[in-house]
Amino acid sequence: MAKSTIYAGLEIGTHKICVVVGEAKRDGAIKILGVGQAPSRGVRKGEIVDFEKVQTCVNDALVRAEDRSDVMIRNVFLGVTGAHIESLNNRGRHRLPDDQTEISEDDVEEAKEIARSVSIPQSNVFLHSVTRQYIVDGQEAVRQPIGREGRVLEADYHIIHGVRGRVQNAIRCVREIPLEVEDVVFNPVAAAQVVLTREAKMQGALMIDFGAGTCDYVLYEDGMITASGCVPLGGDHITNDVSMALQIPNGRAERLKVEEGSVLYDDVPEGEMLSIEDDTGLILGEIERAFLNEVMNLRTKEILIQVKVRVEDHLGRLGAGIYLTGGVSMMKGVDVVAREVFGIKVTRAGSAPVSGITATFENPQYSAPIGLIRYAQILDSEKPFLSPLKRLGRRMQELLSSVTL
Amino acid sequence: MVEYDRSQSPEGASTAAPRICIVGVGGAGSNVVDRITLDRIVDATLVCAHTDVRVLGHSMAPVKIQLGAELMKGIGAGGDPDLGREAALFSREQIRQSVENHDIIFISAGLGGGTGSGAAPVIAEIAKNTGALVLVVATMPFSFEGRRRLAQAEEALELLQKRADALVLFENNRMGELILPKDGIQKAFNQADQLIAQSLRAISTITITPGLVKLGLDDLTSALANANGRCLFGFGEARGQNRGAEALKKALKSPLIDSGRLLHQTKNLLVHVAGGESLTLVEVEGVMKQLGRHVPDQTHILFGLGVDAKLGDAVAVTLISSLGLNQLNAHATAAPPSEMLQPRAEQPAPVAALAPAPAPKREIPAKKAPSPYAPPQESVADLLFKSEEFASVPAVGEAFPLSSLQAEAAKVVAPQPKEEPVVQEEEPPAFADFDAYEEPAPPPVIAPAPETARIPVRTPAAKELADAARSTKESTLAAVVARSVTLQTEAASAHDDLISFDEPEPEPESSTISATAVLTRKAPTTAESQQTFSLGEEDRGRFKDTEPSIVQGEDLDVPTWMRLKKKLRR
Repeated sequence: MAKSTIYAGLEIGTHKICVVVGEAKRDGAIKILGVGQAPSRGVRKGEIVDFEKVQTCVNDALVRAEDRSDVMIRNVFLGVTGAHIESLNNRGRHRLPDDQTEISEDDVEEAKEIARSVSIPQSNVFLHSVTRQYIVDGQEAVRQPIGREGRVLEADYHIIHGVRGRVQNAIRCVREIPLEVEDVVFNPVAAAQVVLTREAKMQGALMIDFGAGTCDYVLYEDGMITASGCVPLGGDHITNDVSMALQIPNGRAERLKVEEGSVLYDDVPEGEMLSIEDDTGLILGEIERAFLNEVMNLRTKEILIQVKVRVEDHLGRLGAGIYLTGGVSMMKGVDVVAREVFGIKVTRAGSAPVSGITATFENPQYSAPIGLIRYAQILDSEKPFLSPLKRLGRRMQELLSSVTL
Repeated sequence: MVEYDRSQSPEGASTAAPRICIVGVGGAGSNVVDRITLDRIVDATLVCAHTDVRVLGHSMAPVKIQLGAELMKGIGAGGDPDLGREAALFSREQIRQSVENHDIIFISAGLGGGTGSGAAPVIAEIAKNTGALVLVVATMPFSFEGRRRLAQAEEALELLQKRADALVLFENNRMGELILPKDGIQKAFNQADQLIAQSLRAISTITITPGLVKLGLDDLTSALANANGRCLFGFGEARGQNRGAEALKKALKSPLIDSGRLLHQTKNLLVHVAGGESLTLVEVEGVMKQLGRHVPDQTHILFGLGVDAKLGDAVAVTLISSLGLNQLNAHATAAPPSEMLQPRAEQPAPVAALAPAPAPKREIPAKKAPSPYAPPQESVADLLFKSEEFASVPAVGEAFPLSSLQAEAAKVVAPQPKEEPVVQEEEPPAFADFDAYEEPAPPPVIAPAPETARIPVRTPAAKELADAARSTKESTLAAVVARSVTLQTEAASAHDDLISFDEPEPEPESSTISATAVLTRKAPTTAESQQTFSLGEEDRGRFKDTEPSIVQGEDLDVPTWMRLKKKLRR
C-alpha cells in the first residue's frame, strides 16, 4: 500500500503566524493533523520587517504544531505575499517543423519555453508560472495537446513574479530557524486551491483573501488562473482608521473592531452608543455606533475598490462570483459591502475539502496555510511518478486533470 | 427606500477618460512599444504589428498582430515597402479590431524599412477610419542606411502626413550623431527608443491630464507645425530640493534639443510643467525664467501646467517643438563639427584652458561658437539674460506683494542662479562626457514613485468614494466630518509635532535642511490660499515608518475618513 505524505505549510501573516501539518492521502483527500499558531510580531503589510521577532514567533507556532500533530517538522512550504508581487499572462507560440503534423512532447516543451521567456524586471524572480491552456491552430482551451494534429501550438502562461530580495529574505528568515523551505508559494494561489471548488473555477470566480496586512486576490476564468496580485491594505488599516478616528490605542481599536464593529451603518439606530472600556473594565467614554461603523465601512470599501480596479477587465465573466476568505472576511457586513462594490454574488468561505480538526478548516483565517498543504500535494502529483503501480498512476492522472492550477 | 447603487459610478468615470492605443509597426516600432510596456509609463492598449514572427515572439506587447500571415509566412518584409503594404492590407480586419474603440491612437514606426514604411500608412488609414485621433511618431533612417531607404522613408512620410492628425518626426541621424562618437550602435538605438517612448508618454499625459493651464492637441499641432519639420523634444523629471531647475536641466540635456541651443531658432515652443500637489508657483516661475534664457523673445511659448497626483513629489518638465529640416541640417552640419572639435581641441590641454581662467571664462568661447549660424540678436539677447541674472532676483521678490513671502521668494530664486553656471559649464563638452549624460538619463523613465508605477489604477477610486458618500449619506458624513474636525483640533498639537518627523521621509536626500526645504515647510502656514499646491503633512498612525502605499498620489495608509474630509473641505 502506498503511503500517504505529510506536509507542513507555514504562513507568516501580519496578524498571526500559522503552521499547519496535513496528511495528503493517496486518494487526494487531506487530513489536518495539527495547527500551531502564534501572534505575529515584526510583520508589516505581509512582509517581514524584524527578523528576530518573526523567528521567535515562528518557533512558537512550530513547537505548538509539532506538539499537536506529533510530527517532527523539517521542511515547510512557505507562503509569501507583499505588494511587490505581480502577475502577467504571456503566450508562447511554437510552429511545428514542416515534416511533422503531430504534436509531440518536445513541441509542448518548446512552446512552454517561449511562453516563459518573458522579461520581468531584473530584480525580480518567478514565483509561479502556471499553464493556463494550450492553443492548437487557434483552437482554444486545449488541455492536453500531445498527440494532436496541428501546425501551430501556443502555450498560455500565467506568471507570478516578485522582487528577488524580498522573497529571499522570507526564505532566509525561515532557514535560520532552522527549517528547510521546500517551495515558496504566493498565498492566494495556495488559498484558492481549498477555497474554490472546481466548479467555481470553471464558472469563473474571484477569491479575495482579506488578511490583516494585505488583501490578496486570485481570479479564475474558465478554470484558468487569469489574474492574481496583492493590495497592500488590510484589516490593520481598518484598525488604524478606527484608532485614529476615536483616539484610542491600537489594541483597543482592534478589539472594538472584532467585537463590536460592523461595516453596515445604514440601519444602525441613530444615537445608539457604545461604551469603550479600558483594561480594568472601567468605562472610558461612549461613542456612537454609526460613527464606528462608518469609519470601518469607508476603509473596507476603499480596499475592495482597489482590488476591483486591478481585476476590472475580467469581472464580466465571473459566474461563481466572489469568494471572500481571510480574517477580515469574518467582519460583519463585509459581504454586503463587497456586493455593493462588485455587484455580483459574494460568498464568505473557508477551506472546504479537508478533514481533521473541524474548527480549523472552517475558519477562513486558515485558508492560506491549509491551501499550502493542498498545493504541496498537487505539486507532488505533477512530478513524473516512478511508481510501477499502474492503478496509482491513473489515479494521479485523474487528480491532475481534476485540479487545474 | 431606493438604494443608490454606488458601484455604478466607476464605470461612468472610466468611460470619461480617453482610451489610448499605441501601435508599434515594424522593428523600430515594436522596440518602442516594448520599451513602453517595460516601463509601464502609459496607460494604454499596446499593440505590436510586424510581419516577422520572430520579432513578434520576442515582443512584450500584450496584443500582437502578425501582418499578412498567409502572404508573408512569418518572414519580414525584407525592406520592401510594397510587401509591407500588402501584408498590412491582408490583416486589415485584425488591425481594425485591435485599434477600434479608442479615442487616441499613436502609431510608432521606423520609416525606411519594409514593414515600417509599408504598413504604417495602411494602419494609419484604418485607425483614422475608426474615428480616433491619429498621431504618428516616426523615425527617419540613419544616413548610413543609404539613399534608397531615405527615399522609401520620404515616400511613406508623405502618405502618413495625409492620414495622421499630427506627425512627430525624429531624425535618427540627429539622435545617432550625438551618441555615436563615444558609444556603440546598440546604445544609439536604445537611446532613440527611449526618447520616443518618453515623448509618447509626454504627449499622452499632456493632452489627457486635466491641467490648471490646459494644453490641448491644438497646441501640440501648432508646436509641431513646420513644413517637413523634425521634432525637438526634451523631458526631465526630478525630485528633491531644487527639483524645478533639475527637471529643466534634464529636459534641456536631451540630445534632440542640443542643450537648448536648437531652441534659439524655434518659432513655437510647447512647455509643460507638471508636478504633484506640492508644486509651488515659485517653482514654476523659476523654471520658466530659466527657460527664457534659451528661447528668443519672439518665440511663441505654449505654456501648460498640470497637477498630476501620480508624480508625487517630482516635477516634470516637457519641451516640444519642431524645426524645419533645412534649419536643422544647417545647424547639424555647422554645429557638430564645431562642437565636436571644440572639446577635442580643449581636451588635449585642459590645464592650459583651465589654469588661466576658471569655469566662467571657458564657457564664453562656447557661447560664441554658435553665433555664426544663429541670428546675432539671439546671442545678444542671451548675453543680456545672463547679465540680468542677478538683477532679476529682486524683481521676483516684488512680484509677490505679501511682504512675508518676499524674503522667502528671494531665497527660493537665489539658489537657481547658483545652479545656472553648473548647467552651462556642462554644455560645451556635452557630447564628450556623454557617459555623464547616460547615467542620469534613464532614471526619469523609471523615476516616478515605484509604487505608482507598479499599480496601474484606472478609476480614481477614492474620489469616486467621496462622491458616492457625498451624494448618499450627506447627513451622516457631515456628522463624521464635524466630529472628526473636533477630534482633529484636539490632536492638532500632536499633529504639529509629527510634521517635523514626516517631512524628511519623502525626501531622503535632503539630509541637511537647506533654505528651500525649510521654506516649503513654512509656505503652507504663511499662505493659506496656496493649500492646493502643498503636500499636506499626513498622519499615518501605526504605518508611519512603513513603505507608503501610494495610489494616484494618495497615501492609502492615511485613514480613509481623513483623506475624505480633506477633499470635502476643499
